[in-house]
Order: sequence, then structure tokens, then C-alpha cells
Amino acid sequence: MVYISTQSFQSVTRQPMLQTESALATAQQEVASGVYADLGLQLGSQTSNAISLAQQSDQITSLTASNVSTTTRLSATNSALTAIMSDAQSLADNLIGAESSPTVLQTLSTQAQSSLSDLVGQLNTSSGGQYIFGGTNTQTTPITTSASIQSAATSALTTDMATSQSSGTDLGTVLSGASSSLSTLFQGSGWSSLSSASSTTLTSQISPTQTTTSSVSANQTAFQQIAQAYSLLSAAANQTLSTTQTQDIVSQASSLLDSGISSLTEIQAGVGVTQDAVTAANSSMAAQQTILTKNVGSLEDVDATTLSTTVTNLQTQLQDSYSLTSQLKSLSLVNYLTAG
Amino acid sequence: MGLTAALNIAQSAVASASAQASVLSQNIANVSTSGYALQTPNVETTFNGSSTVASVTNAANSALQSNLLSAQADSSAAAALSSGLSTIQNSLGLSSTTATSTTASTATDQSPSTMLSNLTDALQTYASAPDTTANGTAVVTAAKAMVQSLNTGATAVQTVREQADSQMSSSVSTINSLLAQFQTVNSQIVSGTASGANISAAQDTASSILSELSNQIGITTSTTSNGGTTISTDSGVTLFDGTARTVAFTPTSTYSASTTGNQVTVDGIPITGSTSTMAVQSGALAGLSQLRDSAAPKYQNQLDQIASSLITTFADTPSSSSLPSLAGLFTNGGSETLPTSVTGLASSISVNASVDPSQGGNVDLLRDGNSSGGNATYGTTAYTSNTSGGAGYSGLLDSYTTALSTSQTFDSSSGGIANGTLANYASSSVSSLESDYKTASNAATYQSSVVTTATTALSNATGVNLDDQMSKMLVIEQAYQASAQLLTTVNSMYSSLITAVQSGA
Repeated sequence: MVYISTQSFQSVTRQPMLQTESALATAQQEVASGVYADLGLQLGSQTSNAISLAQQSDQITSLTASNVSTTTRLSATNSALTAIMSDAQSLADNLIGAESSPTVLQTLSTQAQSSLSDLVGQLNTSSGGQYIFGGTNTQTTPITTSASIQSAATSALTTDMATSQSSGTDLGTVLSGASSSLSTLFQGSGWSSLSSASSTTLTSQISPTQTTTSSVSANQTAFQQIAQAYSLLSAAANQTLSTTQTQDIVSQASSLLDSGISSLTEIQAGVGVTQDAVTAANSSMAAQQTILTKNVGSLEDVDATTLSTTVTNLQTQLQDSYSLTSQLKSLSLVNYLTAG
Repeated sequence: MGLTAALNIAQSAVASASAQASVLSQNIANVSTSGYALQTPNVETTFNGSSTVASVTNAANSALQSNLLSAQADSSAAAALSSGLSTIQNSLGLSSTTATSTTASTATDQSPSTMLSNLTDALQTYASAPDTTANGTAVVTAAKAMVQSLNTGATAVQTVREQADSQMSSSVSTINSLLAQFQTVNSQIVSGTASGANISAAQDTASSILSELSNQIGITTSTTSNGGTTISTDSGVTLFDGTARTVAFTPTSTYSASTTGNQVTVDGIPITGSTSTMAVQSGALAGLSQLRDSAAPKYQNQLDQIASSLITTFADTPSSSSLPSLAGLFTNGGSETLPTSVTGLASSISVNASVDPSQGGNVDLLRDGNSSGGNATYGTTAYTSNTSGGAGYSGLLDSYTTALSTSQTFDSSSGGIANGTLANYASSSVSSLESDYKTASNAATYQSSVVTTATTALSNATGVNLDDQMSKMLVIEQAYQASAQLLTTVNSMYSSLITAVQSGA
């Protein structure tokens, strides 16, 4: 004979009802949030995957944001370099043929003077609270005033002319020598008195795996040479010069400018390459972001269709339990026994 | 044979019906009492043909009973472990992880893993613009959140251990009190068996005590020749054999990472802890002991590993190799020197006050080095990395980022990975915890359903069916009515006889 105790007969519907109600509560929470109610319970040892993916996504967001300031700095650098280049190029063009007509020197000197102050202005460009040509020394104005450069250059040229006179050497030979007063002023310790920039450039992490140099220091040879050429020409206006001396000065300035322009072109190309790298990093990170989001979703997200079916099933089940319970209530022999 | 005999038999039938009705009413009264064993009256015919309730049998199924006991013990152990791990994993804040992951997947949980990732991001941003003080402050804020996460995790672990310890204490006193009760009931059963008295009630009490006991500690029982029961733990230590053995435990009220909880002993034999050779396998006591002595300390160790690695990674390195490294961004409770022991670092780790603006510190020290702010013994510049003083210097910050992405060695017994970056380790720690939690939670759910099944099986074998009892009641009622009718009839026959005798006289 099959025997069932009244207690288990009555609790047949009780247990499933509780389970169904708790499952329904969880399902409703998941419908509202779109992700599993208890991620740890659902994913177990997979949890760290979900977290890591979200973290990578955060890192990319953060890198993309910091790339904005890198991009800004690079384009400010680029436009400053373009301006310096155009000034230098224009003066270099005007120098062609000037050796033969010393009278032009006065005009060239004026142009050089304004170019010098323009150069100083460009090198002292500040972007986003940083002096972009300051190297790591971003909070100090990199280059001293053009007036002080000029006065230092004028006395250096005077010394060099005196050297040329006393030793009987050509002014051209003296000026092109590495030990001339003018040359030493624009190199090494001489330059340090004019520039407070750091030769160490800024580095930026532009993607999770790439770190790149992201600034140009005012201490680059290109700037020194161009500044020297400008200073030489503007200082020459204060001197009484022979035709040969004028020719020597113009030719020295011209050679300095040519070499400066060619180095400047390389620098500008380097900046362009970095700009491209940042752009490429940004677009690759945007692509990664999409994939990461999708992967996080595939771990954390509940399938809306499945969930809605589950909810419907649970509701039906619960209703069945209710109706069964109410029917069971009347199923007792006691109800059919009349007293007496 | 005569009318007197008939009267006697009818009387005994009425008495027997009443006795059966009494047993039935006892059954009906206990229809909802869980653990109540159905009583069946055994009716016998005596020498003169009258009927009597000779004895009452208790429905029993010892196999199902011991099934239920072990199911309850397993379920209690799993529930204790699962509830503790659930509390610890709540400190990760994972359950509240963003609902917006479908649009922008951002980790919003409070796990050390995510806090570390946020710190790394903040460092990277600071390194990209070291001259912006706000970026440095952001790093300090992220570092504080990191410390907060480790502290919270460690507190959760130790709180869970304290609770487990106090629950073990109350479990032990429950066990002792149940064993004392069992001693009384057992002696009733033994003497009742010897004298042939009704021991149904005592047997019911005994099984309900065993059932309560099995919730606390895994037990096995065996019946002795005198009808009594002996109880031993599932590991074979005797708890009750005629007399109750003493279960002893000294609670510890405050826990730290270095605290080892006391063992539970029975007559001096330890039954919990890793050094015990006869450790109990199930029951709340086993689950709590596992939680307190291995599961919770395992996670504490992982947090300590993370804290230790953080302090070392961000340590200030001196320019001269003869000097010791000093605490940088992270310190062991404000100490300038590096910690020598890993244990408990997750609780004591803090952000160095000298780089924290809210404590009067200077964020720039984070970029320039010398976080200890000029050590009196080693000189003010021995730990300065940014010697030129440029505000755009990112060398030191970059070296932190590099160190964070460099593989390190961790305690391989901690449950996390043995080799990998700190971020890898932190994320493996989350996985380890969640995996333990999932396993424990699934086991608890499973064991709880086993208990339901075992209870139903036992209830069906030994429980009361109301309808069955009611239909039996109908039979008894009819037998009673018939017997009563018989008494009336015999009575009227006697009356007729007496009337005839009187009228004849």
C-alpha cells in the first residue's frame, strides 16, 4: 500500500511555491537591470574575466581622454613649427643673392629681428597650462626675451670681429668656427643661459601597449641654429662692415638657416608621425572598446527573450501552485464526515 | 458460556475501542508535528475471546532516520560556509555592478581588482600630464579607494571569523544541553524497555533531540542491547554512551589576520581544525570551523598579498644602493619602513600622509620621489628621483606603471596565481573567492533539497495520514456502537430474565 503522511501531502505545493516566488523575484530584478542578479554566483571563477574586461575598457576610456591633451599639445607644436619654418624659409629666400648687394643687409636685419622675436614667441607657446617646448620643465617660460638674446649676440659678434681683426683671419672663418663667441652662445652652457627648457621631452602612453615621445624641446639644434642666424643678422646692423665682412655674415647666416631648416623638417616629420600614431591608437582603441563591451555583455547580460519566457513560465507555475493548494484544502475526509 | 461472558466481552470491546480511539486522537493531534512517529495500537484477543490493546507500536525507519540526520548535518555545514562566504563576497560590491553594462561597460564594483585598475588609470593620466596637480590628487584619491577596498575586505573577513567563532560557541553549548537531555530520555527508554512500559513518547523525544543534534554536528547512532542509543560524531568520537561526554570550546572574541581560533574538543580530543585527526565532517560546527579556519583566512591572505605587493611596488628607492627602500605612496599603518611580514597588511595598509593633501601632504612628492618627505637619517635628497625639478617629469610615475605591469611572485598557497602582474593576481583573487562562493552556495542549495527529500521520505514512512486515521476512527466508532448495542441487548435480556423470575414468584 502506498502511504503518504498528511504533512508531506500538504507541503507538496508549499516548497515549490517558495522556490518559484524566489526565482520570480530574481528574474524580475534581472529584467530591470539586464544583468545577472548575483554575478558572483552566476559566473563563479569567470567573475574575474568580466571584471578584467570592464577594467580594460575603463583603461581605454582613460587613455582616450588623456590622448586628447597629447593631441592638443602635438598640434600646437606642429603649428608653432610651421610658423617657425615659414619665417626661416622666407628669410633664407631673401638671403639668396644678398651677398652681392650689402645695402640689403639693413632690411634683412630688420626682418631677422622680427623673426627672432617671433621665434621666441613660438617657443614660449603655452597650451593647456604647459609650455610645450619646455621639455619636462613645463611650468617655466623656456626662452628668455628676444632683446636679451640680441644684446648677448651683439657683444658676441663684437668679440668675434675683434678676434678676426687681431688674428688677421677672415670673419667668415671665425664665425663658422665652433669656438667663436657667437657659436658658443647658442650651444651648451651658452644656450643654457638663454633657455630654461629641459632637454628631456615628455613621454605619453597613448594606448595600453604604446608609449611615445610627445613633445619637442626648445633645446633642439634646429632652434639654436635658427636663433643664431637671426641674431647674427640683427646684430650685424649695429656694426660697421666691409663688403667682404657683409658677405661672410650673410653666407654664415644662410648656411645656419639651411641646416636649421633641414633639422626642423625632420622634427616636424617626427611630430607628424606621433600625431598619426595617436590617431591610429585612438581608432584601434575605439574598435577594442566595442569588442570589450560586447564581451562583458556576453558574460554579464541576461538574454531578454529567455528571461521573458522564464518569467512567463514561473508565473504560470505559481498560479498552478495556488490553484492546487486551494483545491487540496477541500480534499480531506473530515469535510465529508457529518457529525452524529 | 453465558450472558455474563457476553457482557464481559462487550465491556472489553468498549474498553479496547476507547483505547484505540485514544491512540488515534494522539495521532490526529500530532498530524502537523514534524518528527512525530505514527502510533499503531496492537489489538489482541484474550483467552476468553475479549479484545484488548496489548501494546502500541511506534512507526520507525532507522535507515531513513539516519539518512535525514546525515542530510541535515551536511546541509547545516554547507549553509554555514555559504552564508559566511556570501558576507565576504558582498564586500566586493559585485552584486550591485552597473546595470548599464550594455551601453558602457565600466567596472563599478569595489573589488581590489577594480580599485587597482582605477589606480593604474589615474597613474597613467598623471604621467601624461605630471604638471597638473589635479591629476596627482586623483592618484591619491584612487589610492585611498584602493586602501579602503582592502581594509573593508579584511574587516569583512575578520568579522565573519568572529561571528563564526561565537556561533561555534553557541553550537557547542546547544550540543551539551541536547546531550544532557538525551541522557534523561535514554534512561527512560532503557528502563521502559526492561519493564515493558510505553516508551513511544520517549522515543519521539529521542529522535527529535537527535535531529536537532545533527544540525549542529554530524552524528552516527547505534542501538545497544538494552534498547538505548549511543551517539558518536561522524568522525568516530563518542559523544554519548550511557552518559553525555563533555564538548568543550573556549571562544575568542576579537579576530585579526594573525589570530588562530581555538579547537572544539570532546573529552579532550580535538574535533575541529586542520591539526585534528578526528575532525567532524558535517554539521554547523564543521561548516563554521571550515569558514573560520580555512575559507576566510584564505581570502585574507590574498588581500594581504595584494597589500604587500602595493607597498613594495610604490616604495621609494634610494639613489644609493646602500640605503634601504622606504614606504612610498602606500605605508604599513603610516610606518616609514617597509613591512617585514605579509600577515595582516590588508588591514594596516594606508596612504602615506606626506603625499595626501587632505593630511597636509604634498602630491608632487609622488611625481618627484622622496615620499617620506626628507628622511632625517638618510638626507633630504637621497630618495628624490626628479633631480632637475621639472614639473613635467614623468620618469618615476612611468616606472610605477612599468612595475605594475611586470610579473611578480605571490604565495602559491593563497589560492591566487603564483606568478603574474599584481592586476592578474587581484583578478585571480576575485575568481578564487567567487568560485568558492559559488561552490558553497550550490552545495547549500543541493543539501537543502536533500533534506527536503529525506524529510518527505521519513514523514511518509512514519508520519500520520489524517484520512487514514479518520477512516480507522469510523471503524472504531462502529465497533464501539455495536458493543454498546450488545451491552444494551444483554442488559435487556437480563431484565427479561429478572422480570420473568419476579412474575413467577
